[in-house]
Amino acid sequence: MSSKPDKVTITLPCRPEYVGVVRLALLGVASRLPFSYDEVEDLRLAVGEACTYAVERAGTIDATLTVLIELDENGLEIHVTDDVPQDTPKRVSAQDTDLLAETGIDQEGLGALLMEILVDKVEIVPSPSGTTVHLTKLAPKQST
Amino acid sequence: MNFKISERTLEAGQIVLDISGEVDVLTAPLLKDAIIGQVTKGASQIIINLEAVDYLDSTGLGTLIGGLKRTREAKTRLSIAGMNSRIRRLFDITGIDKIFVIHDTVADAVAYAEENV
Repeated sequence: MSSKPDKVTITLPCRPEYVGVVRLALLGVASRLPFSYDEVEDLRLAVGEACTYAVERAGTIDATLTVLIELDENGLEIHVTDDVPQDTPKRVSAQDTDLLAETGIDQEGLGALLMEILVDKVEIVPSPSGTTVHLTKLAPKQST
Repeated sequence: MNFKISERTLEAGQIVLDISGEVDVLTAPLLKDAIIGQVTKGASQIIINLEAVDYLDSTGLGTLIGGLKRTREAKTRLSIAGMNSRIRRLFDITGIDKIFVIHDTVADAVAYAEENV
C-alpha cells in the first residue's frame, strides 16, 4: 500500500434501507488491513451508527449520505456526511425516553456512546447544511 | 440484510419471538411491531430469542428498551435469550443489561419463568 491513503467514496440515499449497504462495503475495505474479526465487527457497527444518526435526523426528507473511507497502513478514517439541514424537525422515534433515561442515556446518546467505545476517535461536526461524523480506527501494530 | 421474525407459543403459553438476521434502523420497527402485537393480544410472557441475530445496533437496543416499557405497562413479562457474545457485550457496555432479564437459552428463560410464577 502506498503512503498516500486509498480513498473509497460511496454516495447513497440517506434512508434506512441503505445503511446495510455501507456496512457491507466497510467490511470489504476493512478486510484489507490486518484487523481482527472483532475489530472489523466494531468498525461495522460504528459506521452503521454514524449512518443511522444521519438517517434518523433525515426522517422523511430527501437527503443524501456520502461515505468517504480513507485507508492506509496506519488505519482507517471514515467520514460520514449528510446534507440534512440542522433545522430539520426531529422525527419522534423514541417515545420511550423515560425508560431509556433509567440507563442514563437517550436513543441518540446510545449510538454516540457505542461509536465512542468502538473506534479510537469520534468527532461529530454539525453545520447548518448537514453533519459529518468522523471515525478513526488505528490499524493493529504489525509484529515483525 | 436478511431479517426474519417468527412467533411461536410454548405449551405453557409463553410467546417466543425467534429473530434472525440483522436488527438495525431498517428492521427494528418490525421487531417493535411484533412486541406490541403480542402485548396487544394479551401475552403474559414474551421471550425474545436472539440466537440467530448476528447484528444489533443502537436502534435494536432502543427497540428492546421500548418493548420492555410496553410490556411492563401491560404486566407482560419480557425476557431476552440466546444473544451471542458480541451482542451481550453491547448490553454490558451500555449498562442496559441491568434492566433486562437475560438468559443464555430459551429453555433457561422458560425454566426461570416456571420457577418464578
